[in-house]
Amino acid sequence: MTTEILWWIFAVAIVAVSAGVVFARTVIHSAIFLILSLAGVGAMYLFLTIEFIALVQFLIYGGAVTVLILLALMLTRMGVAGRPEPTTGVQAPFGALVAAGLMATLIGVAVATAWPGDPGGNAVAVSIKTIGEQMFQHYGAPFMITAALLLVAFIGAIVIARQEDDD
Amino acid sequence: MVPMENYLILSGILFSLGVYGVLARRNAVLVLMSVELMLNAVSLNFVAFSAYLDPDKATGIIFAVFVIAVAAAEVGLALAIVIRLFRNRSTANVDEAATMRW
Repeated sequence: MTTEILWWIFAVAIVAVSAGVVFARTVIHSAIFLILSLAGVGAMYLFLTIEFIALVQFLIYGGAVTVLILLALMLTRMGVAGRPEPTTGVQAPFGALVAAGLMATLIGVAVATAWPGDPGGNAVAVSIKTIGEQMFQHYGAPFMITAALLLVAFIGAIVIARQEDDD
Repeated sequence: MVPMENYLILSGILFSLGVYGVLARRNAVLVLMSVELMLNAVSLNFVAFSAYLDPDKATGIIFAVFVIAVAAAEVGLALAIVIRLFRNRSTANVDEAATMRW
């Protein structure tokens, strides 16, 4: 029962800060809301008793990705101080329409579908041992390809962002 | 005991908020943050399915790990592109970056 109350508190908080990400007027505020939202989803993984993903979430998203985003925000400061620009384009109403329709569809499907197995029971704890065995025995090739993808992506990022002398 | 549908509804709401952010906001970095929101919602969905319906094989969890890795690569590249755009155009507004060359 306590878990349930805590879950609802976290769920409402996550939705609130995620709305903050999308609707905040200042981008720095959005970034801070994003950190809170990512940490909240990490807490959701703890509720699901999947500690490994929770740790990865806190380390990679909460740490690395948000620092990258904050740095990019500082490097791309724009707008004249004191003159607030519109934060949304002319397409905002259509975006809201699409998002509302999508939300209704997703919630409807989630509620109406009869899921196989036992979705009403408890979340089953998956040990890190199981994850590691699966990862390296059955998903070894995707793991290696992901490593290569990360390397290529970061070399590409360096090449794109590099300051060139003849610019 | 939280039923699985709660997680699905939560991630549906997060995903829709991300879709609105991607479609409506003008700042490129904010569009990227909204994409992160969407990827997070998808990971949460995968992990919830895995924990409730398929705990022996942990397929959804493996999927979530790959989603996080690819998201990290995507953020790095996209921020490099945004910084480049800002250097060439002095704007990070996606509505003003409508041409492929300059």
